[in-house]
Amino acid sequence: MSPHPMIEIRGVQKWFGRLHVLRGVTLSVKEGEVVVIAGASGSGKSTLLRCLNGLEKIQQGEIWVDGVPIHDKRTNLNRIRQKIGIVFQSYNLFPHMTVLRNIILGPVVVKGVPPRQVYGRALQLLRRIGIADKANAYPDQLSGGQRQRVAIVRALAMEPKVMLFDEPTSALDPEMIKEVLDLMRELAQEKMTMIVVTHEMGFAREVADRIAFMADGQIIEIAPPEEFFAHPKDERTRRFIEKILAV
Amino acid sequence: MTPEMRGEAIGWARAYQLLKIAGRVLFSAALVTGTLLAIYGILSQSYPFRWRPALQDLDAFHQGLLRTLQISLVSMVFGTALGLLIALARLAPFALLRDMGALYVHTLRNIPFLVFILFMYFGVARSVIPTGAYVPLFGWELDARLFWGVVALSLFEASFISEILRAGILSIHPTQMESARSLGMNYLQALRYVILPQAFRNILPPLTGELIALVKESALLMIISLPELTLTAKQLASQKPLQFEFYTILAAYYLVITLPLAALSHLLERRLKLGGRE
Amino acid sequence: MTLAARRLREVLWIAARFALAAALLLGAILLIFRGLGSNYTFHWAEALQFLPRFNQGLWVTLQISFFGALLAVALGLVVALLRLSPWGPVRDLGGLYVHTFRNLPFLVVMLLFYFGLGQAIRLPTLELFGQTFPPQFLWGMLSLGVYESSYLGETFRAGILAIHKEQVESARSLGMNYLQVMRHVVLPQALRVVLPPMTSTLIALVKESSLLFLIQVPELTNAARQLAIPLRRPYVFEFYTILAGYYLAIVVPLSLLSNWLESRLGAGRALREAMRHDA
Repeated sequence: MSPHPMIEIRGVQKWFGRLHVLRGVTLSVKEGEVVVIAGASGSGKSTLLRCLNGLEKIQQGEIWVDGVPIHDKRTNLNRIRQKIGIVFQSYNLFPHMTVLRNIILGPVVVKGVPPRQVYGRALQLLRRIGIADKANAYPDQLSGGQRQRVAIVRALAMEPKVMLFDEPTSALDPEMIKEVLDLMRELAQEKMTMIVVTHEMGFAREVADRIAFMADGQIIEIAPPEEFFAHPKDERTRRFIEKILAV
Repeated sequence: MTPEMRGEAIGWARAYQLLKIAGRVLFSAALVTGTLLAIYGILSQSYPFRWRPALQDLDAFHQGLLRTLQISLVSMVFGTALGLLIALARLAPFALLRDMGALYVHTLRNIPFLVFILFMYFGVARSVIPTGAYVPLFGWELDARLFWGVVALSLFEASFISEILRAGILSIHPTQMESARSLGMNYLQALRYVILPQAFRNILPPLTGELIALVKESALLMIISLPELTLTAKQLASQKPLQFEFYTILAAYYLVITLPLAALSHLLERRLKLGGRE
Repeated sequence: MTLAARRLREVLWIAARFALAAALLLGAILLIFRGLGSNYTFHWAEALQFLPRFNQGLWVTLQISFFGALLAVALGLVVALLRLSPWGPVRDLGGLYVHTFRNLPFLVVMLLFYFGLGQAIRLPTLELFGQTFPPQFLWGMLSLGVYESSYLGETFRAGILAIHKEQVESARSLGMNYLQVMRHVVLPQALRVVLPPMTSTLIALVKESSLLFLIQVPELTNAARQLAIPLRRPYVFEFYTILAGYYLAIVVPLSLLSNWLESRLGAGRALREAMRHDA
């Protein structure tokens, strides 16, 4: 266990033009920890996630991932992105490539690993999620759940230290949500550092080490699941939990 | 209905369909040919068409066709290469590059190619630079008119092609670029492996359309006496008093190039439909 | 800062950026010229004295574009109706017209009309509104009109097709007759759909009109040619640049108008969808 936190977010402020999206976010994530970020749309949770690997730039504050300052202009983002895996809501996979090629593209092109070496690992990962037979299929021949799992596996092929998930199951049909969440649960059990933006509170309750509630660009509350659900401190958190549990 | 009766009924239905289609084709052909013949007949009243002496010069037209195709293809290649650079400039994160690209595109798109070729050849090549009758290039002595004609056509078409390429690149869902960048790829790697291969399918139909436009614009190169199809017709028309015939043949030659390309463009558009997958 | 002031600052900032980009581009071009061995001295002041000649040509260009456009609209409507006819052969006739002219260079069409048809049909010189219109002018107008009508025809057809038939059905269900439906429901919507592409066809028409100098129509490009050809006047580059400037001055405002119309009427997508069903 390293002494410094894997992810360190300090006083982050972000504007989209005149829209103040992140109003001072501070969060520290230890190695191997799983943090779920919940909140209404527009609360800034997706934006925060995207700031972590530099897809969005912050105007104030600091973001450190594995000791690398993401906010610093001099940082080689391409290099640190190899250590940060991210899975989006949809349109993850490259439709013009087979599943296998999707997975080995990163290691081959970015890390310069000879394809032969990656093949084995890629097939292993596919076997792990039980679709090794689809290795040469194209993304449009897979179901939504299968695609998202391949997206996760593609990120894993880069051997990242951190995995970010931006509402990975929101675009899926209900039957397929479980298979994706199961894979994410396995990753958590293997002590992958994860930040997950999601509405799946069942998952959060089971898997998260801490749940953060965001509203109006700030983290209003953050606590381990039992405490979060049982004793919400803020009114907004309380209302959110009520709505979630009512469904 | 017994299976035999059904089989017979289906047979009749198919025959009826074929008959309808045949009828429609025949009627169309009849109407079209009839109209064209009528027009021809009316015109013949005042103009004695003499096709045989005109058709003797088909060889010259063939030569001209070849030249036009050569010029068009070479210009298309250079135009696309330059167009890609400009498209990338317009998508660059530097405002200065974007502005210069935008200025280039909007200036060239809004003037007639005729004016541009006059400007390039008589203005730039013959006055400002000035070029002699030949341009030395990699050891070859190129005809200055050919050189400047291709340069002008390439520069002009690059502005249109860059717009097509830019639209094609932008048509790829932004998550694709984000996924590629998130794997650690830089911008150029992402373009090469992820964006451009997908954009290619969206780009091909309009690009074929632009090739058609390019071939049509190449006709203007006759202004600088560059030997190609239209100049051939004009020269022949000045030698023999068979202008109507020669210009009709000229039109036919252009249609021979452009109509198949247009059909190809249609076909490509239908076959390569890249919707939003996933 | 007030909204107006902020907008003004944005506009000024954009203008400054473009001015800088333009300056850089021009600088690069001049460097290329020098690099290719040019020692040309520019004589802008002298060249600009000839602007009145350009203006004469401009006037003719505007006239011929205007009449050509009118003809193109009229013929375009006819073509569109042909292409929308319930009879297959009639549609094919329209298709022949459209596919022929769209796939030919305007230069060829112009030459064919003037030197070809012009032999069979002799047009007179018209005297209207105190202006003389020689046969060249009329042929120029005709060829422009016919050529662009093939594009406009398709535009009109797509515009009419873009109006969903449910609209017509709803209107008829309210008790309107055919004319009322056309007037209140179909045409107003079709017009909004059709206006932006019509403007771009008009722009194309103005640009094609430059070719009319080949048949001795005294329009803008002709004016520039007349000035540039005599060897006594060495300002060829300047004249052709001024020529380009004139066309930009006509076309860019039209272009901006077209963009503005498209954003205001917001019907571009409907038209593009309809145009995809090109037969």
